[in-house]
Amino acid sequence: MDHRPQAWGRPRDDVYGAYDASYLQANGPNQHTQSPIVTGTSVVAMKFKDGVVMAADNLASYGSLARFTDVKRIRTFADTSIIGFGGDVSDMQYLDRHLTELGIDEAYQSEAGHTLNARNLHKYLSNLLYNRRSKFDPLWNHLLVAGLDEESRPFLAAADLLGTTFTSPSLATGFGGMLAQPIMRRYVPDEAAVAGVSRDQAVEVIRECMKVLFYRDARSLDSYSLAIVTKDGVELRENEKLEQQSWAFADRIKGYGTQTV
Amino acid sequence: MDSLVARYSRPATLNRETFSEDLQDGLHDDMNPGLSLKFAMPPVAQPSAWLRAATDDHANPNCPIKIAHGTTTLAFRFQGGIIVATDSRATAGNWIASQTVKKVIEINSCLLGTMAGGAADCQYWLAWLGMQCRLHELRHKRRISVAAASKILANLVYQYKGMGLSMGTMCAGVTKEEGPALYYIDSDGTRLAGNLFCVGSGQTFAYGVLDAEYRYDLGADEALELGRRSILAATHRDAYSGGYINLYHVKEDGWVKHGFSDTNPIFWKTKLEKGEFTNVTSALD
Amino acid sequence: MAMFSQNPVLNGPNYSFAEVPKDAVDGLREHRFNPYTDNGGSTLAIAGADFAIMAGDTRLTSGYSINTRYAPKVFKIGGTTSSQDDANLLLSVVGYAADGEALQERLDAICKMYRYRHGKPMSVSACAKRLSTIMYQKRFFPYYVYAILGGLDEDGRGAVYSYDPVGSFEREQCRAGGAAASLIMPFLDNQVNFKNQYVPGTGVGHELKERERLPLPRNEVEVLVKDAFDSAVERHIEVGDGLQIMIITKDGIEEKVLPLKRD
Repeated sequence: MDHRPQAWGRPRDDVYGAYDASYLQANGPNQHTQSPIVTGTSVVAMKFKDGVVMAADNLASYGSLARFTDVKRIRTFADTSIIGFGGDVSDMQYLDRHLTELGIDEAYQSEAGHTLNARNLHKYLSNLLYNRRSKFDPLWNHLLVAGLDEESRPFLAAADLLGTTFTSPSLATGFGGMLAQPIMRRYVPDEAAVAGVSRDQAVEVIRECMKVLFYRDARSLDSYSLAIVTKDGVELRENEKLEQQSWAFADRIKGYGTQTV
Repeated sequence: MDSLVARYSRPATLNRETFSEDLQDGLHDDMNPGLSLKFAMPPVAQPSAWLRAATDDHANPNCPIKIAHGTTTLAFRFQGGIIVATDSRATAGNWIASQTVKKVIEINSCLLGTMAGGAADCQYWLAWLGMQCRLHELRHKRRISVAAASKILANLVYQYKGMGLSMGTMCAGVTKEEGPALYYIDSDGTRLAGNLFCVGSGQTFAYGVLDAEYRYDLGADEALELGRRSILAATHRDAYSGGYINLYHVKEDGWVKHGFSDTNPIFWKTKLEKGEFTNVTSALD
Repeated sequence: MAMFSQNPVLNGPNYSFAEVPKDAVDGLREHRFNPYTDNGGSTLAIAGADFAIMAGDTRLTSGYSINTRYAPKVFKIGGTTSSQDDANLLLSVVGYAADGEALQERLDAICKMYRYRHGKPMSVSACAKRLSTIMYQKRFFPYYVYAILGGLDEDGRGAVYSYDPVGSFEREQCRAGGAAASLIMPFLDNQVNFKNQYVPGTGVGHELKERERLPLPRNEVEVLVKDAFDSAVERHIEVGDGLQIMIITKDGIEEKVLPLKRD
């Protein structure tokens, strides 16, 4: 402990070593799984009156290289919930295996089919992520979990690698948070607005978001998966294509944003 | 061996996360009331260096976690017992987290602890010390000596040396065997008996006043006034000290509290009525 | 600035022994992962004569992005069921949201177990002490959370306890926490504790009498809370969207959510 008045009570350099700020930065040598290698970009999702629509493109990037163009990043759980994965693909696959096992265990343990609804599943996954961050060995993913809650209302929530959780009528990970969220928020600014959005409208908005993301997110792809979850189950289409793309705006782009000449 | 076989009998990739067991363990620990000595540690090679990176607001004013720190405390022995005086400011970085901290911790009716350094460290370990003192009373049917109490604390913090605790505390108390006794304990594990201590970032200012005016044969009122005046000097010159002056007098039959009073009126009273602090103007324009 | 550096050459008094090391501690340091983030937002609590009010904005941010516009920061603690209808305590957490949620769940489990074992809800003073020890258990790997606990004490008066991230606590009349604490707290000092308020006509300069401190009535406190947050929203980017207010009285806990600016 330092006894000099100007730093009284603080750690002494000659006892603790010099202050090392690098603990708070994510640079320097990294252990495997300490930083993502093969990554997936945005996942977008929004609620509508009977359920939730979610979409994620089928690309797994290796840095700036569009490395794997047929990687499905939305999976179903027990035909009642869907999970979209952003971030590291190996950690996604680990979670996928884990969820498969969990699904089997749950199916055996309960007689009346699955007991985990989307809310339970989200709680489980966020606890898992928080526990891993507390071990300083995070799963480098940002997840969206969608389905129906215990009262059969649409449920949509996110959990990230630090275990932070949040829920909102519309959610997006990665670039989607900047590009897609504003579009979706126009339709579902709050929980009350969800009741006024039909399934077709929601699908239309999500498709629009995927298009905008493809225009501006350099790590995105025009082939994507789209999932719709309602009380009737999950409808997962894994080979959707972006249609009616219009690159007419492209030749007006000069430099970065505000530059005009 | 069985566990080893069990561990490798299925593919490594299929090993389930066992976090639910961790959660159960945590919950189980939580259900046992009382102060435990089981602390969660960051899973890194140098926990203390990591903790310092996250919490040392002096070396890195932008560190994420700003722990509340206490500042000027003093205690001295004189013919009428012991005077204990503190300020009441807690700072977290440059932010004044509180102006009303109770930095004198009443361990029991005859024993006081003071708080400088990490506020939580002092609060927790002095509460823990209170528990140990009470256990001693129950086991031995008499009150613990100040020497023993302070040694329990010193031994405890010495176990945690180098892990990042920050406390500078004084144990002031009175027992039949010892009379009034005063000990200084800090998080380095130092334990010193003495007549006069000032602790904290404002210590030098308090020492300046206290050393100049201190005599062993001070009267009780003179001694209280000296304690108050020394803290006042520290709050005046040390930015990390301020708020209220907390005054205690440890007498033969236990401690007496002498108020928790705002420094501002005391300062102006000292200046205007006693003619001190003449470098500060009192002109209103 | 030299005064604040630990450079022994520039810096008057220095250690009497040992060269100050220039480098960090040697040895393996495999992990470079920052386990903390700041999710922004602000909280506020005020104790009254027979009530306590806890409030928090409902924005949750990461960096400059708004994750959601409705993430509650104030929680009921210690009810017998998950609906928390018969809860008797309130906890607000702000800072790193995942740590906040973990802390909230832990404290709730403890209060529930206390209620089950003792057949009565935990008192606010007991819970305050327990929360302190829970936070101190993580002294070496702290919860990055500024917590405030509210309730009614044994005499039915409003009680507010505030905490630093490692569990030092204090009972107070009012406390603001989180991103806009530095904007709200000075306002509360003045409006709740009447700091720097003097009675007009009682003298000039240092002879002025301080305004007497009285507990504020509930309607005035509610207005203060709304004003405090409206002002914070104007000047802090991480505060806004909604204002969640919980008021605890002898009749139970009332909750309301008011809109704040969403820009």
